[in-house]
Amino acid sequence: MKPLFGNTRGIGALSAIAGLAVITLLFLFPRFVESTYALHIMILIFISIVMGSSWNLLGGYTGQYSVGHSAYFGMGAYTTMILMQFRQVPPWLGIWCGMAAALVVALVIGSICFRLRGPYFVLASIAVAEIFRVSALNLKNVTNGAEGILTTEVPPLKIGATLITDFSSKVPFYYTGLAFVLLVILVTWLIQNSKLGYYFQAIREDQDAAHSLGISLTFYKNVALSLSAVLTSLAGSLYAVYVGFIDPSTVLALDLSVQIVLICIIGGIGTIFGPVIGALVLVPLSEALRSNMIGGFLISSGIVKADSAFGSFLTENLSHAHVLIYGILVVVVILFMPDGVLGFAKAVAARKRKEVA
Amino acid sequence: MTIFLQSLISGILVGGVYALIGIGLTIIFGVMRVINFAHGDLLMVGMYGTFYLFTLFNIDPFISIVITMPLMFLYGGFLQKVFINRIIGSLPQNQILLTIGMGLVMSNGIMLAFTSDYKILSTTYSSSSFDILGISISTPLLISFAITAGITAVLYWFLLKTDTGQAIRATAQDREAAQLMGINVKRMSIIAFGLGASLAGTAGALISPTYYIFPQVGSTFTLKAFVITVLGGMGSIVGATLGGILIGVAESIGGVYFGSGWKEVVVFVLFLLVLLFKPSGLMGKSNA
Repeated sequence: MKPLFGNTRGIGALSAIAGLAVITLLFLFPRFVESTYALHIMILIFISIVMGSSWNLLGGYTGQYSVGHSAYFGMGAYTTMILMQFRQVPPWLGIWCGMAAALVVALVIGSICFRLRGPYFVLASIAVAEIFRVSALNLKNVTNGAEGILTTEVPPLKIGATLITDFSSKVPFYYTGLAFVLLVILVTWLIQNSKLGYYFQAIREDQDAAHSLGISLTFYKNVALSLSAVLTSLAGSLYAVYVGFIDPSTVLALDLSVQIVLICIIGGIGTIFGPVIGALVLVPLSEALRSNMIGGFLISSGIVKADSAFGSFLTENLSHAHVLIYGILVVVVILFMPDGVLGFAKAVAARKRKEVA
Repeated sequence: MTIFLQSLISGILVGGVYALIGIGLTIIFGVMRVINFAHGDLLMVGMYGTFYLFTLFNIDPFISIVITMPLMFLYGGFLQKVFINRIIGSLPQNQILLTIGMGLVMSNGIMLAFTSDYKILSTTYSSSSFDILGISISTPLLISFAITAGITAVLYWFLLKTDTGQAIRATAQDREAAQLMGINVKRMSIIAFGLGASLAGTAGALISPTYYIFPQVGSTFTLKAFVITVLGGMGSIVGATLGGILIGVAESIGGVYFGSGWKEVVVFVLFLLVLLFKPSGLMGKSNA
């Protein structure tokens, strides 16, 4: 088995220690950091990592580019929220229902769409996600339509009379997110080093060759999609319960599907830590834009006057710019570093080595 | 029966404009084998151009296409030269992501510049209609259908009869062979993307009197454009014309019988069915 970190034994041991240290620090983080904003950013990063890593199993390892993953994210989010809000089912149970729903949807979609290849699969995945979005808008008695669903209170998890989690602060969400992240990384690692993972990669590299070796394309693509969908729904459930509000234009939007893909292409597709890096780049960036940090900085530092035309433009409009930045990032990454930050770093390192030698 | 005929006719009228969108996409795909996910956003840019020509200079939307068409052609040519050209022949997923990214830049750039408010372009004839045999026909839709038919006719003539048109078709058939025959393939690609953008922009101009104008309006049309081109067979211009009208009709009739909220679902389900049972499309012969 290939070690999780690095590929030679010495580096492997060192990185394992480093990894353990990082995990320990992450576990202790809420004890030392009291800022709820920092916790909030961390939780968003965790959700993004889970989304990205889940997509990575299908897109990165199996080479099937779905641009409709919002369908599974939305499935998790809606199932958990509907059960919680209208049936008082605690989210810890709802999550499982969300995963089951996503699995069913994935199997249906997979059996239809995997007869298609390349761009046709991409188009079909988008069409399916759009069908879900429009349906959620129209099925008002189930989903509340465009108004969305707002949580009033998250039911605590109790076993008997003992309180397990109460979700009254950000800390339980933090640990749930962290646990989900460790889970998807573990799943990715296990798959990467298993026969299943080799089949996935064989399909990615050359479908026809894989097929001629007796690998059932439809079966393994469906396995990849199911795994990916179930884990994506996990991210959707966590998002819904944490943010406390969902509507079709946030959890079922094409923008979200693009964002999921983007996390992977920015970090590096088909690698364990690609989505982690992608999330670490994207979430702080979009938060900075959303909260208008740049505009705020320019104004508070006196570079731009708040009451000037440009100042009001900054405060009013720039907070919407995060999708614009996503767009620019996609264009730049595809044109200049199609292998993502990880691939780019590797290429630069290889060039350096060559120069030294 | 009247309701059916009514929706059939308005479907055909809207379908004409859809055909224009689909033809643009299909030309781009044919010549470059690139799926342009920013197609609806090009249409949206055309809508905004038309809106501001109308509000600022009081130019009628149907006349403004004289300005919109060449401008959008230049814009498309520029996009091809700077961005699309670099990804011709690369992985289809990278092409899709790049054009999605370009679309996001356009829609959000417009949003930053003009806010996300819905704009309405209301002309004196915007809501006027007349009756034929008890079926009411909207005037702007009829005018835009007539213009669409005219543009399509000119386009067919251009592609079939002119040297440039033939060169474009040759490039679409076999890029390498065309190059060996001395066709400037790079130039044809620029022209093709310019043409695609200008058709999308024109479609935007034509529908602007009957649609809400907002930055995100493009994505619906991008998806519609795909449904149309896939339905007709990717790369087939006749197919795109048929596909456009078919989708217009399906949407219109679906809207009447399932409720207007569901009409998009009708279109997407139709799309999936075509993908499943005849992925090469109605007119396609490609080995998809």
